[in-house]
Formats: sequence, structure tokens, C-alpha cells
Amino acid sequence: MSSIETLYLVFIGTGFAVGFGHCVGMCGPIVVSFSLHLESKRVLISNLLYHFGRVMTYAVLGGVVGITGSFVRVTAGIAVLQKAVMIFTGLMIVVMGLSMGGWLSLGRIFGDHYNPDGIITRGFGKMSGARSTAAYLPLGLLLGLLPCGPVYTVLITAARAGMDIQPPFKAFLTGVGLMVSFGLGTIPALLLVASLTKMNWLRSRNVIYKIGSVLMIAVGIYFVIKGIQY
Amino acid sequence: MNILTSNGKKGLPCIPAWFLPDPISLLNMLFTWIFLSITAVSAVPVQAAETDHLSMVNCNIHEHACTRELLNSKVTLDISPKPVKAMTDLLFRLTLTGKQPAAAPYIDLGMPGMKMGPNQVSLQARSKGVYEGSGIIVRCPSGKRIWKAAVVLPGIGIAEFIFNVIY
Repeated sequence: MSSIETLYLVFIGTGFAVGFGHCVGMCGPIVVSFSLHLESKRVLISNLLYHFGRVMTYAVLGGVVGITGSFVRVTAGIAVLQKAVMIFTGLMIVVMGLSMGGWLSLGRIFGDHYNPDGIITRGFGKMSGARSTAAYLPLGLLLGLLPCGPVYTVLITAARAGMDIQPPFKAFLTGVGLMVSFGLGTIPALLLVASLTKMNWLRSRNVIYKIGSVLMIAVGIYFVIKGIQY
Repeated sequence: MNILTSNGKKGLPCIPAWFLPDPISLLNMLFTWIFLSITAVSAVPVQAAETDHLSMVNCNIHEHACTRELLNSKVTLDISPKPVKAMTDLLFRLTLTGKQPAAAPYIDLGMPGMKMGPNQVSLQARSKGVYEGSGIIVRCPSGKRIWKAAVVLPGIGIAEFIFNVIY
């Protein structure tokens, strides 16, 4: 096994460990927000699509950093976009919290509580039920850009590998491979968090739902503030 | 004694019915207070953890190099350019006096109390007892700025330098 293949395994393990030690705290609120909004039977497929999109974005970032061999230039180039994504994510969580608490009609784009007269629903009026599940893929693609310490750490390794590897296409593939390995490793922890929201006793308790709504709004505001400060 | 108002709600004597919040508003207020209480209670340990990490800072890397003693060796770490900023290329310079390591030393970069993934700086010998390597300290979106550089010296031990980083 080559040193690069060993690195892939190392980064799957890193993703797994970081998933439980870091992502559950930082990104857990995001997947909980989505999942509480879905019917139980759609939680798994929607989350898988979301994670697939997220890992795709990681792969592109890894490829770009690998081929350029520069972590600093690439991350500086996307910093403004990351800031915008963080603020967008926060606003989205706030909207979902308001919707889950019954204070706002979100429509069916990211949920199952369809109200054809809702303001946001009208904007996404052509989205069908099947397409609302599919919406989690582009959402994952976008939220893969969220600023994240461990993602940066793996990108640094991809950049270093990119500097050592020739030709450039191989460096690109190595960057992609490292980021995909890491991204795949983070999925189990976040799927586990999402699956907790499928528990019927949780869903059947309006009180917990209301508290969850308020907490989601608070988490969303936290994301917006951190996004503005970023 | 309860009285019935024009909209059918029960009111209390001497208190106009419009002054009394409806049950939904009361419920909303209740949950707001519960949330605020939970936030306040949970914020205490979070703040305490932050304070703990702040008290761990043992190096003002923005001003000067820092030195630790380890098994009759003096380990001096310097990072440039100063002030030390995250997400920029940094040069790590290690100076050892006394016992020399059995193999090339390296630096593990991380945050106290938060897993950030493996971020190692490989160091190459520049002269006797002097090692250099380039690395990057990444930015944590949580806003926490306290970082730890664990200098691993094979055969000697680990010297930890904890410092603030500028975001």
C-alpha cells in the first residue's frame, strides 16, 4: 500500500473521529434542523443526499487545492462565499425553527408541512414532493462550503500532497481522494444524530417540539452572528 | 370570582380582559423563559471552559519566542511572521539546547478541548539544534483563538506551547 493510500485510510479514520468529536457539536444542529422537519421515512434518504452533496463540494475543494498546491490562496478566494454560506445557513435554520414551531409556513421545499398559501411556498410552488427530497443534494453542495476547522486541516494535507505529486492531474485526484475519504468518515456521526429525530416519542411530544423550535432559532442566530464575525 | 368578557373569555374582577394574554401567548412566554434558563445554565460551563483554556496560555508568541525545559533540554519555539495569524503561511523555528532528539522533531497543532484533525509541521535541521518547518494554523468558526503547539521530540518528550492566534 502506497503512502497516499495509507493517507486515505487515515483520513477516513480522522473523519470518523472528528465526526463524533467535532461535527456533532458544530454541524449536528444543521442536520437536526433538517431532519425534524421531515417525515421519519424520508430522514435517511434526505440526509444521504445532503451528505453526498457536502462530500462532492469537499472533493472539488480538495481537487483545486491539490492541483494548485496552495491552501492559503484557495481559502482566501472562497472566504467571502463561506461567510455568505454561514449567514445563509443561520437564516435557514431560523426559518426552519419558526416553521417547526408553527410561527411561519415554510412550504414543502425542505419539509413536509405544506401550506399552498405560504409566502415562501409560493416562491417554490413548482417543487413537487419528490423534488423536495432532491433539494437536499444542492443544499449539501452549498453547505459543504461552510467554514470548518477540520476541513481546513485536511485541505492543508491535500495542498502538501499536491506540491509533492506530479503530474497535476494526479495531484488533483489525490486532493479529491483525501477530501472524499475525510467526508465519508464524518457521515456516520451525523447520520446517527439525524436518526435520533426519527424517534416517535420525541415527535409525539409537542412540548419537546416547541423547545426544539426555540433552540433551532437560537442556533440559527448563533450561525448568523458567527457568519457576520467570520 | 370570574367574569365573562365580550369575546367570551373569562377575566378577573378589576382586571380588564384585554390585559390578560391568551393561552398561546402565555405558552410562548413560558417556552421563551425555559429556553433562556437553559441557555443561561449551559452558558456557565461553556464560559468556564473558555476561562480554563485562557488560563492555559503559557506563551505570548506575538511578542517573542517561548522556552520550555524538558529533561535537561531547553526547547525554544518561535513562529513568524508576527503577529501570528491564522490561515496564513507560518514559519516554525525550533531551537534545542542540551540533549538532542533521537529522530527529527515535529509539531502537532491543535486546539485545547476541540478536535481539529491532524495538523503536523515537519521540521528539518538547519544547523545543530535548530529546526525549521512551514505550517498553517487554521481558523475555527466558533471564534475560539487559543491554539496549542505540541513539540514532539523523539526520545525526550513533548513540550507544549499554548498561545492566542489572531483571526
